Amino acid sequence: MTLLSRLGATLPQILWLLPLALLPLVVCSQRRTLVSAIAAAPADGLSRTIGWALRLAGIVAIGGLILALSGPYRSGETITRTGIGAQISMLIDRSGSMNETFAGKQPSGAEESKAAASRRLLADFVGSRAHDQFAVTAFSTSPMLVVPMTDRHAAVRAAIAAIDRPGLDYTNVARGLGMALPQFGAGAAQVSRVVLLVSDGAAVIDPKIQGPLRAEIAKIHPNLYWLFLRTKGSPSIYDKPAGEDTPQAAPERHLDLFFKSLGVPYRAFEAEGPEQVAEAIRQIESLERDPIPYTEQRPRRDLTPWAYALAMAGLLVLVAGKLLEADLQGGGRAAAARTAPDDATDERRLAA
Amino acid sequence: MTRFLARNLRDWRLQALAGALVLLAMTFVVSTVTLTRNMIDVLAVVDITGSMNVRDYKRPDGTPASRLETAKAALRDLVSRLPCGSRLALGIFTERRPFLLFTPIEVCRDFSPLDGALDALDWRMAWEGDSRISAGLYRSIEMAAGLGTDLIFISDGHEAPPPPSTGGPDFEGKPGVVRGFIVGAGGYGLSQIPKFDDRGRETGFYGETDVQQENRFGPPPADAESRPGYEPRNAPFGATAAHGTEHLSSVREPYLKKLAAETGLSYAHLDGPGGLLAPLMQAATPRPLPGSLDLRPLLGSIALGLLLAVYVVPPLRALRRRGGSPPTSWKKV
Repeated sequence: MTLLSRLGATLPQILWLLPLALLPLVVCSQRRTLVSAIAAAPADGLSRTIGWALRLAGIVAIGGLILALSGPYRSGETITRTGIGAQISMLIDRSGSMNETFAGKQPSGAEESKAAASRRLLADFVGSRAHDQFAVTAFSTSPMLVVPMTDRHAAVRAAIAAIDRPGLDYTNVARGLGMALPQFGAGAAQVSRVVLLVSDGAAVIDPKIQGPLRAEIAKIHPNLYWLFLRTKGSPSIYDKPAGEDTPQAAPERHLDLFFKSLGVPYRAFEAEGPEQVAEAIRQIESLERDPIPYTEQRPRRDLTPWAYALAMAGLLVLVAGKLLEADLQGGGRAAAARTAPDDATDERRLAA
Repeated sequence: MTRFLARNLRDWRLQALAGALVLLAMTFVVSTVTLTRNMIDVLAVVDITGSMNVRDYKRPDGTPASRLETAKAALRDLVSRLPCGSRLALGIFTERRPFLLFTPIEVCRDFSPLDGALDALDWRMAWEGDSRISAGLYRSIEMAAGLGTDLIFISDGHEAPPPPSTGGPDFEGKPGVVRGFIVGAGGYGLSQIPKFDDRGRETGFYGETDVQQENRFGPPPADAESRPGYEPRNAPFGATAAHGTEHLSSVREPYLKKLAAETGLSYAHLDGPGGLLAPLMQAATPRPLPGSLDLRPLLGSIALGLLLAVYVVPPLRALRRRGGSPPTSWKKV
């Protein structure tokens, strides 16, 4: 039953030709011979059987060919298996400062901008494990959904390849988070969910948004990683400002405090160079070793060769039948019959 | 014995059946031939400025659809129709520059993330309200050249603020180096532009005084002297506020066509949620990629033709010989 329901055809319209396969029931492929009375020949069981076999072969040959032309297949199945991996929603800063080097300068010569370094290292990260799923969200002034959650790693790498393009103005983390969180969808809760924030700065999270953001994070309960690409000379996450300790004075520190207060597993990595970025990514990879169900698409199976083989079997019988065709009359009469058109008579010859 | 075999071998029906058999056997040997097919690599840049929110398209059910929605639908339709192996990169445009969301993605294998990304396009991704289309187009052309792709630039051509009377910036690249086309989105009649508050909720439409009606940077236009209150030093643009229809929007086709001519692109109007494939195939650079052609349907249909002929031709011949009347008795054994 399930096997039948998985059968399909690429060009089902062609199947309308199938009644043509009944043609052998109406006409015969063999020569006709003139006999004065069919009753003159005794009823012969063998002849009858051969006649029916030839008819059946014709039906099989025509039917098989029509079937083959319609492109039959058994549709692929989706198998759910369990592998090691996680759902990773990447939130990538594309503010203008990402195009500077870790020293805060325009890159020159062999120097690498922060964006170029993260592009190179993240591209290696994507696809290093076959069953990770990724979503990419970019943010600066406003958040932009680049690629929704997918296991197509080539597409994710294409999205990451664009992150070292000239960036935009600001670093609006809150709105970015607001877009990166819903990417997990309503799927199974036991899957390891990861929000990976890659940024070179922080911003004050509007107290008005803090509430909804907290609620959202509590609901999804992701593991939160912040890869902070620190520019030389800029404040660290852990530096207390000399003056007043307000979010405005030290946004990095307060974003860190905000993340810590969320009650989800959280780690911040402060990277001051490409090697440290690579190290941080390695650590994240080793931390996220949970099982993840993934679907494997078994490709659909082309049944066309089988249909052709069927048609061929029918045809072989037909060809054999034609090859061994003999006329009712003896050999001498056959020579005479050759001069007359083969099929001018009404009476069919018996297959023999 | 040999004589009847020889006679059988001369029978055209045997020859036809044998031919069909050979053709069928061939389906197992030469199933495909390799040949080059033309793929397309294209960068689509979509204008997501405020005027693209104008609802002057209609869905099939008659409800209004915005230009951006229609453009998205057209791109999704395009992606589903492009030959496999083609690739699409996506950028968005506001202010004066395009922003690349991703480098080219293959349209068949990675269809679902590509389709999802196109569906996620939103005017809320915009980072600034200006819409300097000529500058955005020129930089999109540079971007396409950098990616090595063709270009589809979808815009309604509505510059905001309006370009100065002397015209916008000139194209400095070489026209025709990047091939592709500009898609004019929007109806030909003026429509109101929806207005949104800072939380993204629609609050009405732009009024005449909400937007800049005239660009008063640069030298005044030629007709300034005839304006009321004109004074060369203190009121070179006249003394009254500018009036106009900049708060309403329609597709600025002459302007887009002019930009297309200057940059060596072609132009097409977006008539609905589809129809981008034909102009793209015309404008784009064909990129030959090895593909394969399945020969089996061809072999199979010839075999079927031969097989049917074996059954159908003799009775038809007999019919003709009798002058049209069917055989009187077909006795089956």
